[in-house]
Amino acid sequence: MSAGNGRQPDKTYWRSLEQVQGDSRATEFLHREFPEGASEAPPALLEDGLSRRSVLAMLGSTASLAGLAGCDVIRRPVEHIVPYVDAPEGMVPGIPLAYATTMPFGNRALGLILKSHEGRPTKVEGNELHPFSGGASGVWAQSSILDLYDPDRSKTVRFGDQASSWNDFVSAWTEGDLAPAADGAGLAVLAEPSSSPTLLRLKSALLERYPQARWVTWQPVSDENADRGLESAAGDHFHALFHLDAAQVLLSLDSDFLSTEGDSVRNLRGYARARRVGDNGASEMLRHYAVDGVHSVTSANADHRLRVQSGRVAAFVAQLGHAVAAHGLELPLNGGVPAADIDDAWVQAVAQDLVDHRGAGLIVAGDRQPAEVHAAVYALNSALGNVGATVTYHQTPDTGSSSDAALTDLVAAMNEGAVDRLLVLEANPVYSAPADLDFAAALENLNSAGAVIHVGTHRDETSRYARWHVPLAHYLESWGDARATDGAASVVQPLIEPLYGGRSAVEVLALAALGEARDGRDLVRETWSELLGLPLDDGAGAEAPVQEDADAAAADGSEEADAPPVDPMSLPFPVALSEFEVAWRRVLHDGVQDGSAAPAAELATVTPEDCAAAVRAAGDAANPVVEGEELEVVFRCSAAVFDGRFANNGWLQELPDPITKLTWDNAALISPATATALGLENEDLVTVSRGERELEMPVWLVPGQADHTVTIDLGYGRDFDGRIASSANDEDHNPGRNAYLLRTSDALHVGRCALRASGGSYALAQTQDHHSMEGRPIVREAALDYFEEHPDFATAHSEKPHENSMWDEWTYKDSPQWGMTIDLNACVGCNACVIACQSENNIPIVGKEQVREGREMHWLRIDRYFSSEGESDGLVDDLPHDPQTNFQPVPCMHCENAPCEQVCPVSATVHDDEGLNAMVYNRCIGTRYCSNNCPYKVRRFNYFNFTKDTPEVMHLGKNPDVTIRSRGVMEKCTYCVQRISRAKVDAKQDGRPLADGDVVTACQQACPAEAIRFGDITDAASQVVEAKTSPRNYNLLDELHTKPRTTYLAKIRHPNREIVPAPAPVEDHGAADDASHGEDAH
Amino acid sequence: MAQIFPKWTLKAPLYVAAALPIAGAAAVGAVWYYGSPEYTDVGYRPVQPVPYSHKLHVGEFGLDCRYCHASVEESAVSNIPPTKVCMNCHHVAARESELLEPIRKSAAQGRPMRWVRVHNLPDYAFFNHSVHVGAGVGCKSCHGPVHEMEVVTQVEPLSMGWCLECHRDPGPHLRPLDAVTDMEWTPTGDHNAFAEQAIADRGLAPPEDCTGCHR
Repeated sequence: MSAGNGRQPDKTYWRSLEQVQGDSRATEFLHREFPEGASEAPPALLEDGLSRRSVLAMLGSTASLAGLAGCDVIRRPVEHIVPYVDAPEGMVPGIPLAYATTMPFGNRALGLILKSHEGRPTKVEGNELHPFSGGASGVWAQSSILDLYDPDRSKTVRFGDQASSWNDFVSAWTEGDLAPAADGAGLAVLAEPSSSPTLLRLKSALLERYPQARWVTWQPVSDENADRGLESAAGDHFHALFHLDAAQVLLSLDSDFLSTEGDSVRNLRGYARARRVGDNGASEMLRHYAVDGVHSVTSANADHRLRVQSGRVAAFVAQLGHAVAAHGLELPLNGGVPAADIDDAWVQAVAQDLVDHRGAGLIVAGDRQPAEVHAAVYALNSALGNVGATVTYHQTPDTGSSSDAALTDLVAAMNEGAVDRLLVLEANPVYSAPADLDFAAALENLNSAGAVIHVGTHRDETSRYARWHVPLAHYLESWGDARATDGAASVVQPLIEPLYGGRSAVEVLALAALGEARDGRDLVRETWSELLGLPLDDGAGAEAPVQEDADAAAADGSEEADAPPVDPMSLPFPVALSEFEVAWRRVLHDGVQDGSAAPAAELATVTPEDCAAAVRAAGDAANPVVEGEELEVVFRCSAAVFDGRFANNGWLQELPDPITKLTWDNAALISPATATALGLENEDLVTVSRGERELEMPVWLVPGQADHTVTIDLGYGRDFDGRIASSANDEDHNPGRNAYLLRTSDALHVGRCALRASGGSYALAQTQDHHSMEGRPIVREAALDYFEEHPDFATAHSEKPHENSMWDEWTYKDSPQWGMTIDLNACVGCNACVIACQSENNIPIVGKEQVREGREMHWLRIDRYFSSEGESDGLVDDLPHDPQTNFQPVPCMHCENAPCEQVCPVSATVHDDEGLNAMVYNRCIGTRYCSNNCPYKVRRFNYFNFTKDTPEVMHLGKNPDVTIRSRGVMEKCTYCVQRISRAKVDAKQDGRPLADGDVVTACQQACPAEAIRFGDITDAASQVVEAKTSPRNYNLLDELHTKPRTTYLAKIRHPNREIVPAPAPVEDHGAADDASHGEDAH
Repeated sequence: MAQIFPKWTLKAPLYVAAALPIAGAAAVGAVWYYGSPEYTDVGYRPVQPVPYSHKLHVGEFGLDCRYCHASVEESAVSNIPPTKVCMNCHHVAARESELLEPIRKSAAQGRPMRWVRVHNLPDYAFFNHSVHVGAGVGCKSCHGPVHEMEVVTQVEPLSMGWCLECHRDPGPHLRPLDAVTDMEWTPTGDHNAFAEQAIADRGLAPPEDCTGCHR
């Protein structure tokens, strides 16, 4: 299992600790297509006395009875067609409409295009015109469509335990016992951070009307530290905007800006562009250093990573400041003393690199780091001349950043009885507030005297304590607005009437602030009348929102740069529209207000002198290296369920974590060395204790985790009536454990804990060892300098495929011939493509137990490989602690010489003239031979009818252009054949040939890194051909002569030769490839 | 004691052996025929909530198909008209007709009609009206002489084999593009030459791959 062809010599690639250690379960996964017993019924069924055979027998008898019906021309069941009474204008049945809208997320915004079939939103895509999307989107945007249809969402206004109504609530507020005191004394609003101009306007109105009222902005996971740090250094409230595409050297400090923090979609696009290499390399490729203790998507993509405890990042910053100042820079940070746990040579090399790239470097600190670190990072960026070049600061109005101190004050006020009306907007503090605040007790205190009003999407932990509960509408069903980080304003446009009668946050707030129930749309239009500076003309244009189909929207976008502002929906008859109406419709159509972004602010260049002292204090005195009995504990938001708000989303629960590949659970993540020291193994149950507070949870070993640290994802262990969040995937536990129970005000992000084995183990479901590819040269990579000398490294050492096939090979005559490339140099493993594919192709979730059996259904999976220098002898003690990480998305390869097709006894998988490897569901009889013969392990089998029990409301979100698969049927990536078909029909109707870019697959569309290209490989001018002619292009498992249509572009790393010297050339390093993998399975 | 089995039973195995293949063939044939859409679907004529007569509207009044089924040229779906389309005429014509009561009620109350689907494809087959109409396949080719139907009846099996017949040889079903909805159109002159020309001009290459219709 040594390094493969053309990579850095002497690297060991391994997928999991079990594999290196030869664990039997992992080995079984390697050797078997599906684990033993995978075709048996789940225990639950067996317990009921049903074996697989008896179920089959029953199915058989039902089928024969069914055969008796239908002997006449009487069709059962009778199907109905229910047309409109009065068809909405612009709506053509069968043609999806596309609407621009915005997903607000904290005080950020992501512009989206929503696809709607006959009024049912079905698919989220990025909005090309929105600068923070650029057409791409992330995991949470993609999966929000599932939240919209969540059947567990709150459906009625509730008063205590009784169902009530919005009207009752309105009258209770306006004239009933809810009405606050005239000056607002005792009234408090607890809201999440928001950049909505309308919400801000109403907040001001509320505070004007009730001057004594208290407004608390709070969210459990936020960028509060970054805000406070910047404020202390620069003297005002700013939003930082990174321009990664302009950066050449990047240092990330415990930051996950590529996945869970900040404007990750925009950042990821810039990052991938900066790391692009030409065919012969490009020395200006971005070099990425990461310093952190938690292995995240961001640190996994760094060229160099310094593994330190999270609490020690401040010490690193002080030391870096010292090193940078030594280069003669004006910096108030000097004086850092080299610490023993921080490699000074590394720091010096990074400092040198940053100084060499003044104005083209960037330092990014993570949200978990204290404000002092953020202040110091600002000082460093400023001194290095990066401010204005790779990072700009923007002052934009928002409702204020999250404040934990304000929440603490609020709880104190509640306990003192100073609050008698608490309006909780969207937040869920009973679940997620710091444990020491005991928010639930504070609510109980308050409830005896006053009233809690909870506005939330679910009847959750907090609503239990509320006198009134108002269902909150999803952003896809309510009017609103939002600003992006730089202030670019856009409207949140609803796609559908509230499914469950929810109200938007602005509607509830309008009631509180204005004393009357107002329509959300009117509220937003009033705000926009101010924003646009045009008087609202209520008379005209009160009709439906602007609708256009996707192509029209795209075409419109490309040519509008110099076009005068015209009514985007050119009506077939003349309508006099007010100026406001024209501008408003333009904003709705584009999804962003042109020119609304705030210019980059000029910040003070002199930073406070006490930055240095603060950082040193944070680094050395306050946070020494954690050793001995104590461990450092890091609480981070989950890359799947964030802070817990997405916990009832099945797609996200089943989404493998990018690094650990765990699904449905969180775990205490520890390093292999720490595990050895504590005598722990994967899935062992431990008790994590912080003083009195204890939490029992399983451990999971993560290479790359800092020693003596425990990382726990927040957002799991929810306790409310949600069939995903609380479903008994295990008899005793909800998915995951609630880490908020350990999180206290003094350790919101990083703290101390003790860990002890509590005996026993807990089964975790992870996808890591499934679908292993036998240690062959799967991922190919090289250092940039090696690539420049050996541009053909990716294929130079490829085993020559045998050219003779046992079968007559398919010949391709016509265009188009579809093909795809996946650029491993761009991919960071963010998972956006996985969810996009799931949404587009109606892919079911299967549940934890089934994932454990290896039956997850994702058509596109992302393999994660760790690699390390030198050989490993397979013991944990000898495992490298600082692995390099590779990500590889693997969909169906659409082999021209497809092994699956050759073994299907019923021709259910066949080739088509355009090179697609088609899967014909209604022919499939479920032998699974195809999957057995697939060397890439990309075929998925429906062991059960996974969609049978799906609540009916969720059917609305399915893509009507894709068949819902039933039990016993194989399925896999189709290259989004439904999109190909639609593009072809559209081109035909327009009377033009299919152009490059007409077909965009769902994964390609979502990818923020632009890693995926798709198109006609016979069109020499197409993007995919351009990619395939790159010397980095290689076929996966080329030696099998499958001739895959999906190919990969090898990864390039950009190491600093000061830190890692160039390796001596090694002539033959591919020979030992199969030493540990003698098996010849295929 | 008399023998239990009479003498003819000696030959019974022979009879059975001879009958078995015949019975088997009959069974296969029966399933083949009676299970096919040709038998199960052709002739389906459900009762509709309003006995709308295509014969009257199309055959006698000469309404174009697209007056009601307006999306047929642009969408995969050929729509069933909204109630308002019925009322375009019927707010003046046949105002008192009892048969039209459901329509008037639907328009007045805003409750949609529930028509019974006649032509139904399996959910895994994705048919697109617009490409077929755009290629010049007449409505009549699949839906039959609708202008003569008092009650709409399925006249073609709509089975995959039937679809493929035309996909393999579309010529006989092609028309001039302006005659697609013409129920009375008959080929004039040399239809083969016309069809060849039409296939070339319209760039027709009907897919015979699974992916053409199944996704």
